Formats: sequence, C-alpha cells, structure tokens
Amino acid sequence: MSFAERMLKIDRRIIFLVIGFCTLLPLLYPVGLPIKISPEVKSVYDYMESLPERSVFLLSIDFDPASKPELHPQAIALLRHAFRKNLRVVAMTLWVSGTGMADQLLTQVAQEAGKENGKDYVFLGWSPGGTAVIINMGQDLYQAFPSDYGGKPTKGLPVLDGVNSLKDVSYAISLGAGNPGVEAWYVFGKDKYKFELGGGCTGVIAPGLYPLLRSGQINGLIGGLRGAAEYESLIGQKGRAVAGMDAQSATHVAIIILVAVCNIFYFSLRRQAKQQGG
Amino acid sequence: MIFLRRQLPLLITMVTGLLFAGQYYVPHPASEQLLTSATKWLQIIGGFALVLGVTSLFHQHAAKIRRKEAGWGYSVVLYAGLVGTIAVGLWANGKESVDGAMTTFGWVYNFMMVPLQGTMFAILAFFIASAAYRSFRARSREAAVLLIAAVIVMMGRVPLGEYLIPASGDVSSWILNVLNASVRRAILIGVSLGAVALSFKIIFGVERSYLGGGKE
Repeated sequence: MSFAERMLKIDRRIIFLVIGFCTLLPLLYPVGLPIKISPEVKSVYDYMESLPERSVFLLSIDFDPASKPELHPQAIALLRHAFRKNLRVVAMTLWVSGTGMADQLLTQVAQEAGKENGKDYVFLGWSPGGTAVIINMGQDLYQAFPSDYGGKPTKGLPVLDGVNSLKDVSYAISLGAGNPGVEAWYVFGKDKYKFELGGGCTGVIAPGLYPLLRSGQINGLIGGLRGAAEYESLIGQKGRAVAGMDAQSATHVAIIILVAVCNIFYFSLRRQAKQQGG
Repeated sequence: MIFLRRQLPLLITMVTGLLFAGQYYVPHPASEQLLTSATKWLQIIGGFALVLGVTSLFHQHAAKIRRKEAGWGYSVVLYAGLVGTIAVGLWANGKESVDGAMTTFGWVYNFMMVPLQGTMFAILAFFIASAAYRSFRARSREAAVLLIAAVIVMMGRVPLGEYLIPASGDVSSWILNVLNASVRRAILIGVSLGAVALSFKIIFGVERSYLGGGKE
C-alpha cells in the first residue's frame, strides 16, 4: 500500500483528535479575531433599535437543548438587547423539549437586567398543536395561552396590556432549529397577522431561509454561532458566541485542510493509476 | 358501514377543506370566529395526539421486551427513562424549579436531557470532519464546483477565513444570497405547487391513502 493510499485510509480517530484539539485550544487560548457584521444580522439589530420603549417583542424559542450551543447565545443577546431597550418581552416555545431551557434563560437574563415577571416580561411556555398555536395566537392570544408558564392567568398581566393577538406585536423573532420554526412563523403568522418578523437559526438551516430573507418575508436573519457572535458584538456584550468563534474558525480551517489533503492524495493516486494503465 | 368509514370522512374532508381555504379570504368576524374555534380544536387534538404517541411507544416497546427481540435491552432503558420522567414530572407538577429550588424533574432535564442532547449534536462535528475527509473529493466537474463553493462558504463564515482571504466573506455572502437563494426558491415553488395539487386531490377525494388501507 502506497503512502497516498495509507493517508486516504487514515484512522478516523486521528481526525477526531485533530478536531478535538482545534476546538479545545482556541477555547483555552482565545485569539479574538475581529468579527465582520453581516447585513442580515444588522437588520435585526436596527429594527430592535428602532422600536419605541414598551413595544411588544415576541421571542419564540423554537429549539431544544441539542441546538443550545448555537441558539442559546442568540436568545441571550436578543433578550439583553430587548431589556436594555425597555421593551415588553413575551417569550414562548413551540418545542416542548425546550420549555425548561427557555424558562431558565429568560429568567436569567431578566434577573440580570432587573426586570419583573408579569410586568416587563412573561414566559407563556408551550402549548400543543404546533403551527395551530401560531394561528390561535393570531386570533386570540388568551385562548392560546390562558395562563403563563407559572400558572398565572395571562389576562390582566401588565406586560400584555393592550395585546390581544399577534396583530399587536411590534416585532417577533423565532429562533428555530427546524420545524416548527422561522418558516412556520412566516406562513401561519406574519403572512396573515401582519407583524414584523425576524429569524434566528442554526448554521445548518440558514441557507434554506435565505429566500425568505431576500423577498422581505423576514427582515433579518441571525445564522448560527457566527450570527450570535455578530449580535453580541453589536450590543457590545461579548459572550459565549464570540468566545466560540475562534474554535469554529480553527475547526473550519482544519476541515478545509483535511479536504485539501485528501484531494491531493486522491489525485496523486489517480495519476499513478493512469500512468500504470498507460 | 362503508358510509361511516369511507364516504363520511371524505365528505368532512371536502367540506372543511373548501371552507377553510375560503375562510382565509373572508375577514368577516364570523369567519374569524370559526378559525379561532377550529385552531382551538386543533390544539386539543394535538394534546391527544401526544398521549396517543406515548401510548403507541409503550405498546411497541412492551412487545419488543416480551418477545426478547434484538436490542430489547434498549427498550427497557427507554421504558425506565419514560416512566421515570413521567413520574417525576407529575410529582413536580411539570415544573423544573419551584421558588428557585430545582425539582427532581428539573434535575432530570438539566443534568440528563440537556447534556445528552448536547453531546449527540456535538459528536456530529467529529463525524462530519471524518466524512468530509473520506468523501469530499473532486471526482467530477460538478463535485469540484460543489467543493470550491463549500470551501469559500466555510472560509467566509469564520473570522479566521476572512482574515486569511479577505474577499471570502463577500463571495460567501454572494453565494448564499444569490446562487443559494434562487435555487432554494425554485425548489420551494415546486414543493408548494405540489402541496397545492395534493391538497386539491385530498379535498376532492382523489387521494385517499390518509384514510388507511382497511377492508371495506
């Protein structure tokens, strides 16, 4: 077996080790390369900035712990921004397995900002029905969620003063890791109830949402850890996403080098085979 | 009996299908009230579907354990996890914490489900790297184009890539916004037209497979 053949059949544990080091080392020794802000993330930030105080901001935390590394920093950055702008935050989830995590992150950021449950923010929790919940909220928010996650009746909560349905929401963002997520919020929510919608998603599904972005169906998109890092930079509160960008940089470059090496060996083997054949 | 099993469901499907397709274009309060009621029903049915799903899971794995089929041990683990979580969930009234103190259900969620799901997702990075090394080869012209596009997007999406090749960010953005968006849109339009056609077939009773294949 030639060297090229041996290299193409390299033990995958070596590759795992390379990726492990590329993830770990930048986390231990961060470099802090500058992060360029993309127009799609800036649009979300600008729209949040343009909202007057006490506007209603709906955050749908449509992911479960599997997507936590990418979407949790996005949620934290958005909530920090919303609380700093003194917006009324209405949070919910369409993913039952994300309920506990969503409640924890909202409580954590609200406490950090000194906000009061029921007055400045509310967590509606999860309700069965998937996309039907969005339509129901568009028709009557209090029918979809008669009580909040803590069991308090939603009717009469100061945070929901003047809010009867999705039509009264100033800005909604769905942080989605799949379906139901950003697309469902457009199809069943924005299209009928005419509120402004932004999106956040994992890196892997971001390319699928670009048609919605380009047509203005969503006004901005925060894609993956990179999007979260951009948003953290915009609000000036660097967190886990910015810290993770070095690790992501290193792993991307490592994968590119691995792919390049594999192709070099592949072509050298092909040339050898041709020479032997000729 | 054929009427109850075949014609009545077809009639209900046709009437509700046409009614709610039309409802979208009628902003009258009565029409909106109809939609409100129907979505409330959907939410209730969604709740029942969850119970049905869990019951079906119980039956399937109980049969696997009883027959000692291959991998029945995993079914035991699933049973233990499911029953245990339901028990602590009911005990804690579905709450992860009460007055700031973590419940047993919260412990299961925070220290079992969150790390397990996180680990599963994190492992992907390693497998993707290994798979990319083994299969991402420029075997043909099309594969070469895909490879180059992937490398540019990977470079352009991270600060190190933009630092090493400053143009990669803009080129990556162009690939995503122009090439990717147009192709995705074409696929979306195709899928949507297919969905409309299928909806018409279901509404008018041409497509009946959703009724199941029981004897008439």
